Amino acid sequence: MGLHLRSLFTKVGVGRWWRRLLARLICAFLLQFFAPVRLHSQTGDTEKPVPILSGTAGFLTSVTAGQTLLDTQFNPVLLVPLGDRWLVESRGEFEGVFQRAPGGGSFGGPVHKHLDYLQADYIANSYVTITAGRFLTPFGIFNERLYPEWIRALQPDPLILPIATASSDGAMLRGGFPVNARANVNYAAYVSATSIGVDGVESERHVGGRAGVFFPGPRLEIGASWQKTLQDDRKNAFGFHLAWQPRRVPLSVHSEFARANQGSGYWAEGAYRLSQINVWNRAMRRTEIVGRMQQFIGGNISPDTAASLGLPVANTRETDFGVNYFLKDGLKAVGSYGRQFSSAGNFNQWTVGIAYRFLIPLGGGDTP
Amino acid sequence: MTRIFVLAFALAIGLTAWAASSNTKEVSTSTPVAHSTDPDTMRALGEQRFRTNCGRCHAAPQKFPPRAMSTVLRHMRVRATITDEDMRLVLFYMTQ
Repeated sequence: MGLHLRSLFTKVGVGRWWRRLLARLICAFLLQFFAPVRLHSQTGDTEKPVPILSGTAGFLTSVTAGQTLLDTQFNPVLLVPLGDRWLVESRGEFEGVFQRAPGGGSFGGPVHKHLDYLQADYIANSYVTITAGRFLTPFGIFNERLYPEWIRALQPDPLILPIATASSDGAMLRGGFPVNARANVNYAAYVSATSIGVDGVESERHVGGRAGVFFPGPRLEIGASWQKTLQDDRKNAFGFHLAWQPRRVPLSVHSEFARANQGSGYWAEGAYRLSQINVWNRAMRRTEIVGRMQQFIGGNISPDTAASLGLPVANTRETDFGVNYFLKDGLKAVGSYGRQFSSAGNFNQWTVGIAYRFLIPLGGGDTP
Repeated sequence: MTRIFVLAFALAIGLTAWAASSNTKEVSTSTPVAHSTDPDTMRALGEQRFRTNCGRCHAAPQKFPPRAMSTVLRHMRVRATITDEDMRLVLFYMTQ
C-alpha cells in the first residue's frame, strides 16, 4: 500500500512537503478516531443511566380509494445502557391492519411482527460509535429519524421509503463531530450480511454509507446516501436529503430524493406550527399544519415485485395535507388528506388517528 | 424527472451557499463551552442545542428523571449522531 502511494505521489509529481503534510493529516485523522478520549457523558451517580422502556402506540383509521382500514401499531423500544460506553437497544413492531371482508362483515386481518433493530453500540470516543447487530439502514433520513408515529408529521409513508431502507444485519461505524464553529459533519458506514429463513429479521448483503453536513446557524442539513447490493444484480442506490428549520418561523422542512433499480423519486414536506398566530393562542400553539408533495417513477422491476416491496406499481404523484394537534406531551391527534395520481388509477386517502409516545424508567425512579 | 432533480440539486446548492455565507450573530452551537460552569449559561446553551439538534425532528418532551434522560440521550447520540458536547449540554438542560 505504501509503495503504491509512493509511486502515485511520484507519478503525479507531488512534492516532499505536500507528502509530509498529507501524512501528518492522515495520522491526525486516525489518531483522533482511535485515541481513547474521556467521554463527557454520564459520570455522576445522579445521572447514571438506567434501562428504559419507551416506544409508540398508535391507532389510525384510513379510507383509501373507498376502502376503510384500521391500523393499530405498537412499537416498543428497549434501551439498556451498560457502563459508560455501551448501549443495547431494540425496537419491535407489532402492526395489525384490519378491514372488512368483501361483501361486508366485521373487520379482520393479520397482525405483523417485525424486529426493526436489535443492536449493541460501543461509543469508542467523541467521533466514533461502533454498532453491531440488526440496525436501521442509514439511507436518507426518514427511516432513522422520522419514522415513529409520534414524530412523523404525516402518517402515510413517503412513496420512496422502501428504497434501500430495509433493516441491515451487520456492523456499522457512525458519529458526528464539529468541523468548525459553523458546521458539523455526521456520517455512517455499514456492511450487512444476507440473513434469510428467520421470519421478521431478513436482510440482504450490501455495503453503504451516509454523510451529512449540518449548519447550526441556519439550521440546515444536507447529505447524501449510497448503498451497493452485493448479491444478485449488485445494484447501486443513492439518495440526497435535506432538513431545514429556519430560526424566525416555526417551520420544519424535510426532503429526500432516492434513485435505485426499483425506481426513483422524491418527497418534500413542510410542517408549520401556528404558534405565531395571535388568536386562540393556546390552541394555535398546539396545532401544526403539514403539506407534502412527492413523486415516484418506476424502475426495472415488475409491478408484482414493486408491490411486494411496498412500492407503487406505476408512476405516481401524490399530494398530502394534514393537521396535527398536540394534546399533551407525547400525545397527538392527527388527520390528513391526500390524493394520488397514477396510471393505475387516481384516488383519495383520508387518515385520522392518534399517536402516543411512552417512556418507563426501569429503575432509578428519581424525579427531575 | 431530470428537471426536478436538477432543480432540487440547485436548490440544495443554493441553500448550502447561503448557509455558508450567512453571518449569524447568535452563539454558534459548536462554540466550545466545555469549561463553562455557570448553570444559567449551561441551561441556555443546552436549550439552544436542543432546538438545533433535537428540534430538527421532534418537539421538546417533558422532563424525565435524570437517569432516564441520560439513557435517552445516549440513544439519541447514536441515532442522531449529535456531538459529545451537544449531548452533555442538552442533558444539563433537560435535567436541571
